[in-house]
Amino acid sequence: MKELSRAQIRDLMGEVLKNQGKVLPDDDAADLREVGFRSLDFSELALRVEDETGEELNFDAPGLRRIATVGDVLDFLVELQRQ
Amino acid sequence: MSDPAAHTQLVPPSSVVLVSGGSRGLGLAIVTDLLESGVKVAAFARTVTPELAKLADAHPDRSHVGSVDVTDLAAAQAFVRAAEERLGPIDGVVNNAAVGQDSLHVHTATADIARIIETNLTAPLQLTRLTVRRMLAQGLRGRIVNITSICAQRGFPGLVAYSATKGGMDAATRSLARELGGRVLVNAVAPGFFASEMSAVLGQTQLDQIVRRTPTGHLTEPEEVVPVVRMLLREQTNINGQVIVVDGAASI
Ligand SMILES: NC(=O)c1ccc[n+]([C@@H]2O[C@H](COP(=O)([O-])OP(=O)(O)OC[C@H]3O[C@@H](n4cnc5c(N)ncnc54)[C@H](OP(=O)(O)O)[C@@H]3O)[C@@H](O)[C@H]2O)c1
Repeated sequence: MKELSRAQIRDLMGEVLKNQGKVLPDDDAADLREVGFRSLDFSELALRVEDETGEELNFDAPGLRRIATVGDVLDFLVELQRQ
Repeated sequence: MSDPAAHTQLVPPSSVVLVSGGSRGLGLAIVTDLLESGVKVAAFARTVTPELAKLADAHPDRSHVGSVDVTDLAAAQAFVRAAEERLGPIDGVVNNAAVGQDSLHVHTATADIARIIETNLTAPLQLTRLTVRRMLAQGLRGRIVNITSICAQRGFPGLVAYSATKGGMDAATRSLARELGGRVLVNAVAPGFFASEMSAVLGQTQLDQIVRRTPTGHLTEPEEVVPVVRMLLREQTNINGQVIVVDGAASI
């Protein structure tokens, strides 16, 4: 199965934000609320990753609640691809 | 009431009640309450918990418990037969077994959507069909209580398929009540969120938010739902085809 790297996911995340006129900071510790990255943006990003890899990424909401920073998003999606 | 013909039309209190998902949470509370009220109870879940086994031991003549997956129609049928042999004809059913959900619709696996619908909608419809057929064949009158949810009437993210099944059961409740012409009373009880294994996925922030929006200031407790279920099974009322919401007015 094709797997996207953390850097590739970061690029996609940047695109999701750019489409909304927002900027993805370089700092992984940046707070998602300050960046303006909401849960539906997370869905969009996950679906873009799916599109690239051709594999469905399904997950429960409780995992999402722990996501607070840019780094958390990237870690979550890297980990999800491996499951 | 003075007309004897009209009197014979009344549906008597249920005396042998089948409870699906009676092993824990609300189902266990319903089984406990009915046994304490002197009713005979047949209860099943996929796993018989020590709590349910203990109740059965305490009421050996009035209870029948077993391990049944509600989506396995043949197993449900066999359980109903065995329960009737032991306790007498079933004249009350509580469709309580269900599985929860906590995932956004677009990220819910298709197999999970199918499982939620099978467990929460198809299975109770089948169990209802099976038990009503037996009631009618034996010339009995009876009562059915479907445990649905506030999610059938109000929107909650993460609960799309679940809500669809509960809305389906609310709708079935009304049509079945009409179809059965008063011979079987069919109602639904729709609780607001209460603490159980099912709702354990809710975060503290969400629970706090629900409590804040509830005029009575607390989450619904299973003990607050149980008397409503008992009333629908046991009391002489003319309630039929209704969905009774028990949520402290959180949803109004
Ligand atoms: N908790 C809430 O906030 C809430 C709110 C509104 C409505 N409700 C409704 O209230 C009812 C009870 O919920 P609860 O919170 O008490 O849930 P719970 O603690 O998760 O209990 C569910 C019960 O259903 C059984 N069950 C699940 N799948 C089954 C299957 N395939 N076959 C047979 N039994 C099965 C479970 O036992 P096994 O897993 O061993 O099978 C258990 O006995 C449900 O209809 C639920 O939708 C709950």
